[in-house]
Amino acid sequence: MTSSGRTVVACLLGLGSAAAAAYASHRGTAARQAVTPPIQQATFNRDIAPIVFRYCAPCHRPGEAGPFPLLTYTDVKARARQIVTVTSKRFMPPWLPEPQELRFADELRLSEEQIALIQKWVEEGAVEGDSANLPAAPQFVAGWQLGRPDEIVEAERPYTLPASGSDMYWNFIFRTPVDRTRWLKAIEIRPGDKRVVHHANVLVDRNQAARRMEAEPRAGFPGMELKIESETFDPDSHFLFWKPGTVPRPAPEGMSLRLDKDTDLVLNIHLQPSGKLEQIRPSLGLYFTEKPATQFPLLLQLENDKQLNIPPGDKRFLVTDEFTLPVDVDLLAIYPHAHYLGKDLQALAILPDGSSKTLIHIPEWNLNWQAIYYYADRVTLPRGTAISMRYIYDNSSGNPANPNDPPRQVVGGNRSRDEMAHLWLQVLPHAPPGSTLDPRMVLQEAMARHNIEKNPADFEARYNLAAMLQGRGAQDEAILNFEFAVRLRPQNGTANNALGASLLAAGRIDEALPYLYAALRAEPDNFDAHYNLANALVSQDKFLEAIEHYRAAIRLHPDDANAEANLGGALAETGSLSEAKMHFQRALQIDPNHKLARENLEQISSNPKNVQH
Amino acid sequence: MRRRRLILEQVSSIFIFLSAAAVLVLAMPSLLAAQKTALRLDGTPVDPFLEAAGKPVVLIFVRTDCPISNRYAPMIQRIGSEYSAKVNLWLVYPSRKTTAEQIRQHEREYSYKLPALRDPQHALVTLAQVQVTPEAAVFDGKHRLLYHGRIDDLYRDFGRARPTATTHELEDAVQAALSGKTPPPNTTGVGCFITDDE
Repeated sequence: MTSSGRTVVACLLGLGSAAAAAYASHRGTAARQAVTPPIQQATFNRDIAPIVFRYCAPCHRPGEAGPFPLLTYTDVKARARQIVTVTSKRFMPPWLPEPQELRFADELRLSEEQIALIQKWVEEGAVEGDSANLPAAPQFVAGWQLGRPDEIVEAERPYTLPASGSDMYWNFIFRTPVDRTRWLKAIEIRPGDKRVVHHANVLVDRNQAARRMEAEPRAGFPGMELKIESETFDPDSHFLFWKPGTVPRPAPEGMSLRLDKDTDLVLNIHLQPSGKLEQIRPSLGLYFTEKPATQFPLLLQLENDKQLNIPPGDKRFLVTDEFTLPVDVDLLAIYPHAHYLGKDLQALAILPDGSSKTLIHIPEWNLNWQAIYYYADRVTLPRGTAISMRYIYDNSSGNPANPNDPPRQVVGGNRSRDEMAHLWLQVLPHAPPGSTLDPRMVLQEAMARHNIEKNPADFEARYNLAAMLQGRGAQDEAILNFEFAVRLRPQNGTANNALGASLLAAGRIDEALPYLYAALRAEPDNFDAHYNLANALVSQDKFLEAIEHYRAAIRLHPDDANAEANLGGALAETGSLSEAKMHFQRALQIDPNHKLARENLEQISSNPKNVQH
Repeated sequence: MRRRRLILEQVSSIFIFLSAAAVLVLAMPSLLAAQKTALRLDGTPVDPFLEAAGKPVVLIFVRTDCPISNRYAPMIQRIGSEYSAKVNLWLVYPSRKTTAEQIRQHEREYSYKLPALRDPQHALVTLAQVQVTPEAAVFDGKHRLLYHGRIDDLYRDFGRARPTATTHELEDAVQAALSGKTPPPNTTGVGCFITDDE
């Protein structure tokens, strides 16, 4: 066995430093024990099990995200050195925020004493101790965490994650199974294989807008950050988020989530290759309630992606934003978000009395462990409170998460190689006494004005501000802002249609027409533009052309009672009474309470000469 | 291994340390080999260095339940296939508790087509001076340890993976073993501590 002999020599030559270090540490322990009065030996059953059961076991058990179980003395002893290392680096349990005055619910942060205790236990030989001291094993709910869901929707097709490569972001579109408006108290996300899914979140897509991103229907699509368009002011006000160890939080009483027929739920998941091909097939559990929402929270967004233009090598690139609350709010939860270059993320509230509160401070950001943080108690922030975010980015090669080697200029954007500077706050706004305005609208309008201040060419902010002004009847200012939006994006169908519609509402028909035609040139299948244009044409007595556009609108939305009723009206004007009657009846079929259709139908039956629009 | 550590601790100069080691080796090489040995999956003892017949030997230490070593599976397999004609490369499972059947299943799951060994007594762990999975050890044709440590720098720390590795120590070390060039410096890997399994 000469070869073995030779390799043993190699072993001994190299062993020096490791062995010496091991002995030094053993001697050190012995010396401490000799000079200090003997302190109680740490045991698993008394000292370590309570920590492990609470902080580790929720994920480190079969079927969960942890790669190995930590449920028994044997489990824990077999990972003792690993546990000492990852807890002392605060890699585990994953909890990014620093301790602060405003406490979070379900904090998963070990104290310095707990970390030291684990270390002491391992140094002393990882003793099991007296079984009488062992606390009861933690009880976990198997399967769906909130019990059997009322409906379960499963992804139609699995996604196959490659065995190797960098992180992947994939989106599944779930068609909702409801045939009428329902209220949800919770959505439980089952992300598929929990060991490869880092996090997942659900976006409510009320207009099936995400389907346009699929290369073929029902295929799903890649992408990290989604922007879902919405036609009405109907903000998504719930965080629907999954990360390892999460038990879904049912919405508080009165804050249920509306789910309409034809609404899509888009699940965005962050995956990390595991070394083998993985089939990912997530499902969603829907839990209904009979109680419609009576309280309406809002997700407020501070951001400053425009400031993101980070030179390569810059270790401390600062991005800030500050927003002053126009109404009183209760802050419920907070979600800071940056990509791979984010380093130190902080949010502060400066109250009108000058006092300040740290809302969150994450000194070592790690995208892999991003989370929604719920406050243990609602945080009352009065009107006039300034909320500020202060994010520092590290674009040096010293940042191990830096996607670029060597570092390169990084700007704001949706792709994972771009950066983001977002801070989301879930707030419950309160209307000032005596006000009839929806406080969410007040907040959203202030937010849009704030965004325009930051960036006058922000198309979305202009558009949203105009839409809210229109909604509360501030027509002239709405038209000005829609005009601005159209100047920013002259080819945008939605903006042209909105400007046309608001001019139409103001009685400025001649001015409205060119924008409505422009909207249709940009989007020939824009229902609203066809409908609005038809209405404008009717008020100019151009019935034949109007009829064409009503028909086009109905082809796009066959279930729209207004389009049917107005088509009936236009047809009646041209003398096609029997056809008109048919469309009034169709409108009433869709909506038996359609007043105009009913009156016109009665009119046409009694006195065919006098039909109103 | 306890006896040898005792000698190391007592020596006060490098020279004495070296001669003490040499004496010990001369005294008991066959005994060591008899006591501690790696095993094939069929349970028979194996000495990878005897099998190598003068080729460089590459040992890659993995575990079935270590997520970081699993993430390296495609890369390890690629390196294994690429150099299979020129070096003797083995996957080594150092866990005392992992059975041969679990290893076979793990190889199937992760598409490994490399010969695997169990090293429950840590005979190879000690020779290779590895500390975590995944780490590799590269021995030259004369079976001198040229390199031991991480495969590459994909992980800087726990939970801190780069999008792609920027250094490639294992491949550099294999090249060094084949060409006689200087191997890369030994660098400890990030992963699961092998000694935890004791």
